[in-house]
Amino acid sequence: MSRFDDELRLALRREEPSADFADRVMARIAELPVTPKQEKSRERSNWWQRLAAVFQPPQMKWALAGTLAVVLMIAGFGAYRYREQQRMLAEIAEGEKAKEQVMLAMRIASGKLNVAQKKVQKTSER
Amino acid sequence: MANEKRTDQLIEQKEVGMQRADDTLSRAKNGDQMAFADLMREHQAMVFSLAQYFLRDRATAEDLAQEVFIHLYQNLSSIESPAHLKYWLRKVTGHRCIDHARKHKMRTVSIDEAPEPVASFEFGDSLMTATLRRIVATLPEKPRLVVTLRYQEDLDPTEIAEILDMPLNTVKSHLRRSLAILREKVTRCLGEVEV
Repeated sequence: MSRFDDELRLALRREEPSADFADRVMARIAELPVTPKQEKSRERSNWWQRLAAVFQPPQMKWALAGTLAVVLMIAGFGAYRYREQQRMLAEIAEGEKAKEQVMLAMRIASGKLNVAQKKVQKTSER
Repeated sequence: MANEKRTDQLIEQKEVGMQRADDTLSRAKNGDQMAFADLMREHQAMVFSLAQYFLRDRATAEDLAQEVFIHLYQNLSSIESPAHLKYWLRKVTGHRCIDHARKHKMRTVSIDEAPEPVASFEFGDSLMTATLRRIVATLPEKPRLVVTLRYQEDLDPTEIAEILDMPLNTVKSHLRRSLAILREKVTRCLGEVEV
């Protein structure tokens, strides 16, 4: 870069317009009618921008807290259902065991009765 | 070590700045007028100065800059990113300047006819600065815009060619010829000044 380039840069440096420039433009914009194109574009961008805003830092905190709460609730409910199911299965197994014991007792009793009956029959035949 | 830390800080600052610019643009696109005003304040010096160095008149340059920003407001949905916004503003300002010159048939004056630097000479400007501004103002329209984009916006010839829809070689030739003219005229005006 030559000194001449630097002088040109200095001569053609950016300058600010008058202090009320932005206010004047905004005042002119306020007088503009909203075109259907702008309205449509805003409506179109609204839904996804609202969705995107959820994932921006301040809102993200609440979204994460909400998600965490839902996950904890689902996990708690799942654990409760699992424990209930295990308890029912244990009760069924105990019932089956008791039933088997009763059946065994009845089989033994029936065997004993048969033996006793045969002995009574033999005695009466004599 | 300290240099690395400083570089990291600078990168971080730049990323935060870019994130903020993205956020402002998306809010403005969503109809937030405060965000649009922020965008305008950020870029008003660029648009106004391009117009001023081309049109050589502060009031007309402000009017043109206003038109550019109103046009931006109406076409904000087509802007994709902060970088695209800058490119769009430079392009629209450049084309509007050329259109304005065509409509009003701006006369290119010779260095001898050019007004005295009193009007553009502000407190703090050196004689060299004032003289260069006066001489740049005497360049033909397209070379003047090319020189302004090159030295005000620090753009390279490829970027200028893209903004003005001009062949790269034309841009380079405008720059070469304009610089030769500027050097010669500055030397003539200021005499034995090292340029």
